[in-house]
Amino acid sequence: MLILSRKPGESIVIDGRITVKVMRVEGDVVKIGIEAPAEVPVHRAEVYAEIQKNNQEALVNGGVKLPRLAKR
Amino acid sequence: MNTMELPETEIVAENKPEVIQLPLGLLGFEQIKNYALLARPEEEPFMWFQMLEGAKQSFLVISPAFVLPDYQPDISNDDAEFLGLTSPDDAMLLNIVTLRANGQATVNLKGPIVINRHTLIGKQVIPNNVAQYTLQHPLPVS
Repeated sequence: MLILSRKPGESIVIDGRITVKVMRVEGDVVKIGIEAPAEVPVHRAEVYAEIQKNNQEALVNGGVKLPRLAKR
Repeated sequence: MNTMELPETEIVAENKPEVIQLPLGLLGFEQIKNYALLARPEEEPFMWFQMLEGAKQSFLVISPAFVLPDYQPDISNDDAEFLGLTSPDDAMLLNIVTLRANGQATVNLKGPIVINRHTLIGKQVIPNNVAQYTLQHPLPVS
């Protein structure tokens, strides 16, 4: 892993098209600004982990009772 | 409550399900690329998304139209291109249902499965507006 030291206001550029800028440091929270082309998805890493975990919980292994949807 | 057994492969064959290809698999199930989408009238609005490889387990899925009528995941350009979607009408949306121990059920609105209706190629996408939606949206069950 490449580790760089940056101060607030400083940036790094990835692949010539994605800019990651340290906006502010407030205690143990780092505010990061990301400028990327529209086709580059940017998400918090937790989103992937949460969906992965949810998929695993949703897996059906045996006979189940299907719920009946309440009428709207 | 309807009691049902997991669909067997034979039943799948009888019902001529759509075979959906997920080139990237589902998150956490990247190695499984082929699924059968099994819709049985008596189970509406639920459908089964059954693995055609490996352990052949299933996910319960539902069209978001039955859950949140104004659900509008903003699909990234990259995902639209990957799926070959040229208009919103090309896309079929499925959301994974989790059955909870207490008889309740939740729907994952953060990671819909988006399928191109014409090619039957799909992907579990994370929409650009993912922050608007919940991972465990409660399903109104009676």
